[in-house]
Amino acid sequence: MAILISFDIDGTLEVGDPPGPLTMEMVRIVRDKGFLIGSCSDRPPSSQRSMWEEFDISVDFTVAKHLLADVKSGFEADAYYHIGDREDLDRQNALRNGFDFLWPDEAAAKPWFDAEA
Amino acid sequence: MTTQMAPESMYRSTEGLGVWPHRGKVAAVGIGHSPTARRWDGRAETSVGAQSIMACRKAIEDAGVDPSQVDGIVLVPVTTTGAHWDADTPVPMDVVNAFNPSDDPLDGIGQLSAEWLLKNMPELTNVKFTMYAPGCMSAAITVAAQAVGDGLASTCLVLKGWHNLEGRYNHGGISAANEVPGSFALSPGRTLWGAPGCYGTALQFAQYCTKYGKHHDMMAPFMENSRRNGLLFPEGYWAQHRPEQLPPEDYLNSRWIAKPANLFDNDIPIMASAAYLFTTAEKAQDMAQKPVYILGHASSRGLARSIVPTLEEVEAETDSTGRKIYESAGISPDDLSFENMYDGFAQFHQFHIEGLRYRGMQRGDALDFYQTDISIEGPNPVLPSGGNIGSGRSRFWMHTDCIQQIQGRAGARAVTGVKPEIAVSGGPMPMGGNFTVWSATPN
Amino acid sequence: MVKQGVVPDETNKPFFDAANEGRLVVQSCTNSDRLYFPPRPASEICGEGESVVWKEVSGRGTIYNYCVVYDCPVASLKEDLPFNLAVIMLDEDPGILMYSHLPGVPPDEVPVGAAVRVIFEETANGQKVPEWVLVD
Repeated sequence: MAILISFDIDGTLEVGDPPGPLTMEMVRIVRDKGFLIGSCSDRPPSSQRSMWEEFDISVDFTVAKHLLADVKSGFEADAYYHIGDREDLDRQNALRNGFDFLWPDEAAAKPWFDAEA
Repeated sequence: MTTQMAPESMYRSTEGLGVWPHRGKVAAVGIGHSPTARRWDGRAETSVGAQSIMACRKAIEDAGVDPSQVDGIVLVPVTTTGAHWDADTPVPMDVVNAFNPSDDPLDGIGQLSAEWLLKNMPELTNVKFTMYAPGCMSAAITVAAQAVGDGLASTCLVLKGWHNLEGRYNHGGISAANEVPGSFALSPGRTLWGAPGCYGTALQFAQYCTKYGKHHDMMAPFMENSRRNGLLFPEGYWAQHRPEQLPPEDYLNSRWIAKPANLFDNDIPIMASAAYLFTTAEKAQDMAQKPVYILGHASSRGLARSIVPTLEEVEAETDSTGRKIYESAGISPDDLSFENMYDGFAQFHQFHIEGLRYRGMQRGDALDFYQTDISIEGPNPVLPSGGNIGSGRSRFWMHTDCIQQIQGRAGARAVTGVKPEIAVSGGPMPMGGNFTVWSATPN
Repeated sequence: MVKQGVVPDETNKPFFDAANEGRLVVQSCTNSDRLYFPPRPASEICGEGESVVWKEVSGRGTIYNYCVVYDCPVASLKEDLPFNLAVIMLDEDPGILMYSHLPGVPPDEVPVGAAVRVIFEETANGQKVPEWVLVD
């Protein structure tokens, strides 16, 4: 089953400002498990790409927040998740664009991020 | 010592006042900056109070004076970027008690009084003059320049601190209410119709584009230049935390807030404090840094007639501001080496510089001007500080940059296509702000 | 788009009462023959304020310009994003401006300079407020 995860950055990832609960190692785990992953943030896409390169994590997409719909149309998956920390810019945006939504703490508890699971 | 808000008589807000009587007799010497942060992390040592003390001490040290020589302080007591302390949230007493508190526990956390500052800077043993200025550093500079010129102080700290708390301001409170008072519903700015903070400027920009046949994409070179300059400002937020350029494709593909204003046309709220040390031209000669003389100051006090300032009102006001600035300093547009007018919203910078007739530009010329060489290496630098777009919302980068450029201390940001001799900085809003002309020489 | 409910106060009650009656009124100073909006205490307009009256206007205007709002602080309007937010100039005095969502005009298809007429729209608590629609 193909699962796509879109990560917000600020307030979601440990490298965000403010830092969020999801570590880059957790991202790497789902990457290695074959999930389609990428970021959807108010940070410019060029800055998102730099961030992933810095941590040597290859991602499938980097998009601005308002372009989440492009991710859905651009990738075939069985389930689409967006993880973020803002009600309007993350949760509502995700639901409007056909994604399931997870708050960062909810997401962190998912077995996806367990290397052994 | 009771500290008063500066009286309106200290500002030069009408045309026809002539050359500033203290032209060249007041100088900026020392500069001090705190580190920047996106938001307060709750620690005493990163509070706006602590950051402001740090900025003051650095400015004093930079000027090479003994703290006991400081006899005046002008500061802005309001420190919020927009977020206010939630009345239901307990004030962190460990932070309060880490300092010598005043009567108000929020002092040093969500505001800043002269009393608190003096209690926590015991080395300032000789301060006899304190005064408040409203809003931002631009006003504090004006008041301090006038105070030193008038002899109210001779070695004066000028301070602005900002605090930024968690949350999206303006999105709670009355914006989330089911009912609102009639006065709010019809008020200028935030209303029943849901205008975001940048709406007024975006509307003026829309009218500017309609009137002069321009479009939003033409802002891209200005935005790229501002961020580039900001990344050369080691004191700034982007340089310290996220050294990212803002290439046109990222700027132009950003989400809209109020089209034609997108996310990057709005500055990013941050925490930071800055202080300058002003003194008389005579005393400046014995200090550690090259004096930067103040040739004049001017203020705008425009009033919109109805719910929002129109482009036409903004153009009339900034035209008048330009005339006041030159009249006060006794200079003409041709004398400006560069400009550092305010940019926080990016889309009104052109109103300021067209009002200045910078490099001979007329109304409707600025966006075309942005397509030419506006870099710090060129003959026509635009906003070499990078402003708020380049370094975050502090409203003081442009002043620091003017002083540093003229002192020859702007480092990698130094203008090289012009000799930095006379510059203007100020803001914030086109309809209301305070502006200063800086010079390498007193005349 | 249902706007937040409005609770008029002393300064603007005549404006909102008139809106409930389907009339558009603004303040006017009989000394200067000048119109004022938004409402303010009469004493702020002219002396003791005795010369300030509420004057009915035609409800005709022109679109000054507009923005398309994509990120709005008002919670109850967020589900309607993006929406037009235009400024209307009154025919009687183009210096008097009012906001409008321009009902019926798709986002970003606003004819700047077009003629509009006032309608009155109920807010969440039933209080009516002026809105503006394109003149056919």
